[in-house]
Amino acid sequence: MSTTAMHPLAADYLRRLREAGRGLPTGRLDDLCAEIESHLAEAIPPGTSDADALSVIERLGPPEEIVEAEQPAPADPGRDPRTWREWAAVVLLPLGGFVFGIGWIAGVVLLWSSRAWTTRQKVLGTLIVPGGVAAFFPVLVLSAVAAKSRCVTVARRNGSAFGVGSRHCVLVGGPSSLHVLLAIVLIACVVIGPILVAVHLARSAGRAPAV
Amino acid sequence: MLALLREGERYSFDLVRALGDVDGLVTSEGTLYPLLGRLRREGLVESMWRESSAGPPRRYYTITSDGDATLRTFAAQWSRFRDSVDSLLEQGATA
Repeated sequence: MSTTAMHPLAADYLRRLREAGRGLPTGRLDDLCAEIESHLAEAIPPGTSDADALSVIERLGPPEEIVEAEQPAPADPGRDPRTWREWAAVVLLPLGGFVFGIGWIAGVVLLWSSRAWTTRQKVLGTLIVPGGVAAFFPVLVLSAVAAKSRCVTVARRNGSAFGVGSRHCVLVGGPSSLHVLLAIVLIACVVIGPILVAVHLARSAGRAPAV
Repeated sequence: MLALLREGERYSFDLVRALGDVDGLVTSEGTLYPLLGRLRREGLVESMWRESSAGPPRRYYTITSDGDATLRTFAAQWSRFRDSVDSLLEQGATA
């Protein structure tokens, strides 16, 4: 059916319905639009005044309300709404970093493509902690580099046990108790943070409506 | 909707207008179309588009045997529910 012969208000209503129903499966939207178009053509024949056309449209109600009534029925409440995608995201975010680093990226992609989480939860899952538990290793390496070492070359034998020209190193400025405490807190955050966030995401996805 | 179809087939606009005219039953006629779709998907009604001599094509609906059974069950439950509420209201009025 074509909308060219329709009353402009009816054509506009149909356009708004299509717009509002973009999230519906195509077949359902086409079906709904065909019914409403038939209704409008029946109730607003050529020559209908704007006032009468408006009254027909008011009786139909806002397009958004019709689309809301057309939404697929909520899933069986007994069914677990978490699909393999949600579980994969929950596992890959903390542990995916061990899979050549790309596992974590795959986790982030799955996290953002799922409808089980809010934007706030997605931001949380991405930022705590980028790379997941695998980020623990760079922290460890940085701590080791931070520990300064001093090397000396023995220039002459002076009762030393080392031979001339030998080089020996000593660790200086060893970690103070403050450094140790900071390192423990940092490592705890990097290890426990992603795990806690993953548990939180798994639980909240379980309460989300099925997608 | 099923009750209106018990007497024979009707087209969707006619059905929707008939329900829309019942006072206090429907707030917006448009939401009855998704309901018709649901009844169709559940196999309680069947539909067929037919050209009309009077205007645009019309979608005609008929009730199925499943629809008829559902309607009977609902009518029995509704009758029990109405009687229970009536008896409570009468008790309240005489107390």
